[in-house]
Amino acid sequence: MVALRSVDLAVAPGEIHALVGANGAGKSTLVRILSGVVPPDAGAVEVAGRAVRFRSPAHARAGGLAPVFQDPAFAPDLTVAENLRLTATDPAAFRRRLDGFGLDGVHLGEPAGTLPLPLLRMLDLARVLAHDPALLLLDEITAALPADYAERVFEVIRRARDDGRSVLFISHRLLEVQEVCDRVTVLRDGRNVDTLEIKGPEGSGERTERRIVAAMLGERAALAVSEPRRVAPRDTTRAGEPALQVRGLSDGHRVREVSLELARGEVLGITGLEGQGQDELFAILAGDRRPAGGEIVAAGRRLVARHPQEAIRRGLTLVPSDRWQALLPQRSVRENLAVPQYNAPSRWGWINDGRERRLVAEAIARLSIDTRAQAQARRLSGGNQQKVAIGRWLVGGFTTLLCFDPTRGIDVGTKHQIYDLFRELAAAGKSVLMFTSELREVPLACDRVLVIYDGRIVGEFKAADADEATLLSAAHGLADTLTDSR
Amino acid sequence: MTGLAVKDEDRDQARGLARIAAADRSTLALIVVLAALVVANGLIDRNFLSLGQLRNTLLVTAPLALLAGGQTLCMLTGGIDLSVAMTATAAAYVTGVQSSEGAATAIAAGLLVGLVVGLVNGLAIGVFRVNPLIMTLGMSGILTGLLTVGSQTFLGGATRMSDFVLELGGGTIVGPIPWNLVVWLLLGGALVVGLRRTGLGRMIYAVGDNRIACRLAGVRVWQVETAVYTLCALLAAVAGILIGGRSGSVDLQLAGSYLLPSVAAAVIGGTSILGGVGGYTGTILGALILVVLDTMLNLLTVDEALKQVLYGCIILVLAWVYARGTASA
Amino acid sequence: MSVLTASRPLGPTVGRLTRRHAWTAAVVVFFSVLLAWNASQTRNFGAFEIQTMLASTLALAYLAMAQSVVVIGGGIDLSVGALLVLANCLSARFMEGTGFGTSLLVAAGVLAVTAALGALTGLVITASKIPDIIVTLATSFVWGGAALFVLRTPGGGTAAGFQTLVLGSGSAWWPALLCLLAPLLLVWVPLRRSRTGIAIYALGSSKDAAFLSGVDPLRTRMVAYTFSGLLCGLAGIATTAFTGGGSPQSTIAMNSTLASVAAIVLGGVALSGGVGGLVGPVFAVWCLYLIPNIMLGLGVDPSYGEVVKGVVVVLVVLVGGLLRARRSRLT
Repeated sequence: MVALRSVDLAVAPGEIHALVGANGAGKSTLVRILSGVVPPDAGAVEVAGRAVRFRSPAHARAGGLAPVFQDPAFAPDLTVAENLRLTATDPAAFRRRLDGFGLDGVHLGEPAGTLPLPLLRMLDLARVLAHDPALLLLDEITAALPADYAERVFEVIRRARDDGRSVLFISHRLLEVQEVCDRVTVLRDGRNVDTLEIKGPEGSGERTERRIVAAMLGERAALAVSEPRRVAPRDTTRAGEPALQVRGLSDGHRVREVSLELARGEVLGITGLEGQGQDELFAILAGDRRPAGGEIVAAGRRLVARHPQEAIRRGLTLVPSDRWQALLPQRSVRENLAVPQYNAPSRWGWINDGRERRLVAEAIARLSIDTRAQAQARRLSGGNQQKVAIGRWLVGGFTTLLCFDPTRGIDVGTKHQIYDLFRELAAAGKSVLMFTSELREVPLACDRVLVIYDGRIVGEFKAADADEATLLSAAHGLADTLTDSR
Repeated sequence: MTGLAVKDEDRDQARGLARIAAADRSTLALIVVLAALVVANGLIDRNFLSLGQLRNTLLVTAPLALLAGGQTLCMLTGGIDLSVAMTATAAAYVTGVQSSEGAATAIAAGLLVGLVVGLVNGLAIGVFRVNPLIMTLGMSGILTGLLTVGSQTFLGGATRMSDFVLELGGGTIVGPIPWNLVVWLLLGGALVVGLRRTGLGRMIYAVGDNRIACRLAGVRVWQVETAVYTLCALLAAVAGILIGGRSGSVDLQLAGSYLLPSVAAAVIGGTSILGGVGGYTGTILGALILVVLDTMLNLLTVDEALKQVLYGCIILVLAWVYARGTASA
Repeated sequence: MSVLTASRPLGPTVGRLTRRHAWTAAVVVFFSVLLAWNASQTRNFGAFEIQTMLASTLALAYLAMAQSVVVIGGGIDLSVGALLVLANCLSARFMEGTGFGTSLLVAAGVLAVTAALGALTGLVITASKIPDIIVTLATSFVWGGAALFVLRTPGGGTAAGFQTLVLGSGSAWWPALLCLLAPLLLVWVPLRRSRTGIAIYALGSSKDAAFLSGVDPLRTRMVAYTFSGLLCGLAGIATTAFTGGGSPQSTIAMNSTLASVAAIVLGGVALSGGVGGLVGPVFAVWCLYLIPNIMLGLGVDPSYGEVVKGVVVVLVVLVGGLLRARRSRLT
């Protein structure tokens, strides 16, 4: 797998440079290289004209490159003060930065693990700033940050710029990118495809936004049109009671009053940026997490699941986003596919070898899983691993398949096989609820699509009407549908 | 910064291939090591290849292999059972004390000890999420205390095994075949086949390989763990009764020396302490290798000191070899 | 939206300190209760009883500290008991028939050896990437074998003056306490305050965060295991002083390793790493010593002490786990 192909990027002193791109475009990998977490396979990083190769995060920090990640680098059991010692941060300088944020009430003797995540991220930022870095790397630091904290972050980085430092600012939120950044580089498929001035003569507002969106989509927009639609979505939806109804589902501030309905024979898409509550929503539907409020009705009966097994019994099965949460990496394809067959003590007895072989062979044939490397699931390609994760439920049986980003990181051919499979399943009266971060697959696989933002469903489109630009705008909180949601 | 690129390449895949090859080869390698040790023993002492010595080897291996079998189950789920030795001792002790009630009652009582210990271990580990190391360590202490007190009070009396148990633990059917081999073959065969061909066997591997995936596939992990620790303790009880039968009478140190070898046999056999990989076939070979090696060192009149150092080095080297095979990103 | 704007109301420093050291405080209270109970059972309870307790638990207290350091760093060491036995045999063999001065020299030599062996263990674990538990299982065999090389059968000896220096005698209880405090004050306290010490905690708390913060895993782990080895050496020497000889029995190694794990768990060191200290486990060792004594005083067979110890340790882990689970759900 290639996470980053070739990226050329120059950040000037005293500049706030934004890095945007769709999920999986390589933003995080770039930051991990720049901060010394992983070494690059090729290429060079120059700081102030000198070529450097960072061996470790500490080395990068000494070289003037300091990252703040979404997950703050604080050892949870140590106090804030001890964490500062670890990075050889001057507590006085740290204090001054913190005071600058208006966070003067924080006690450094508190274990980091007991502090709320947004506060911890601010502390991480203050710690990084205390080292006076030449280049500040901010990876999605504003994600799930309260608005007033975010405002302070912007203030801080503007001040850093005014001091002559550089800031590389990674964000999904195009609004804030336009608000604070000087230039923006768009990454796509591990390459930089466009760099544009935001506050330059090229103008502002909608034109810039459109250009960023266009660059993020690239030729893929054109590609999607040119690609033959294997199975045209048709109205397979059947009358009668829906396969799944969700009413007012809530879970803290991650999922807020989500309601949706999924008909039998329907493929319903959900799309959104990372971390908008879709993970929690799917976990709740799969019985892996208990909601704070709301109800789930599966096949006409209310479902209160304390364990995924109870959701599975009612036909709700999950294909998780992370394939490593689905696979038994060291076991064979056959064992992987057959896992749900033995998930209760009543099925712990002798394995009916013939039946298992037949079921597994059917699933392998139906998904055309490449069985050359079947002795260990981890040796399969990403696409085949995903097929195994889905195929498990073809063997196990289901009424509604919950698929989280089923095509992430797999090749085009396999993607189409999966879309076809979903259409076939729908035609056979099954339902599919799939989250996707790839907007262009919405019209290929879905009948209908919902957009989730900040824990709420903020838009609903027929797949036919859902062009990528519309969805992307909605997902970035730019569409009109959003106005009443915040 | 210019032209930065990261490739994961097929590094992982290459490593995976190496591992698979290693896994298939490891059984073969273990057999070769075992054969080499046997031949070496034969060269050192012609008597070693006699039927009598074969009988001795099997007699000693059977209880160790049973204990290591239970240990293998626990390790396959990513756990460990440090109470096997005390469970074996306790079961043997109870069996010995109950001898006057008849062999069947005595053995049943011994197995009951295993069942209770295993259920308590399993429920505490599976349901209440007590760390397996601590739980089984605590259980070991509890059993030690109960036995120490019990031997003077409620478990007082003769601790000589009944004739049936003596025959089972130390007797010979014919030629080089001791009775305890039959017990081992039955249970060991059930283990080998059960791990491969039953739903529970599949779940044991699955839980050890990826607990989260198991949960999402609808497996209630605690049920699997309870079953595993119960089976382990039952196997330990059987092993204890066999050891007791061989030694004739029981005392509180009966099976203590078997604890580390039970882990070592599984490790040598290629079962990962992290779970998900391994099997009982390897453990059997591991147990045989340990016993034959022990015999060889005795034949060479290598003293206990060097023997232990060698054990340690062998475990370390093999674990290193396996770790190189399984090293993943 | 601005829930987080106002800085969280944080308690006064005292409150925070007690929260941080709640577990240690609880163990100290538990110990005080047990001690008072034991004292009330014994006529003329006094310095002699204290000296007996300190002297007979010194080795295990050192060993619990040794285990703590490793577990705090995110590992576990099944070879501490074997290293104790090795140090015991080494010191007993070479101290036999010598004078006070030579005994001291021997002790220093033994400590150097065990510290080096500890460092070697840390190196092997980091280099091989084999789980700690397997490496230390293997080294426990090796150290045990080495102990047999040194001393084939129980025997050896030590200088009487050396015994008195380490353990005190009669009602002089302070030498044993001083010996216990020495590594704590001379090594642990400075280490705990140093960047390396913090790195040990960080490594156990979160490998990723530690790496991002610039912690070198190899160096950190080697420091932890070296200090652990040093403490195992002290435990072995204390055993020599207490028993007046050495014994290479593997059951001693086994039992003391298990006891060390029980003690650290009771003493508030989380097996998952990053949490706890060295003082809690020492008090835990004393608690575990007092329980059988008290049972004896109550007329109960002291052998039930083992049962109670086992139950206490399991319950403590169970309750600790439940508390932690609840706390993580709250945050």
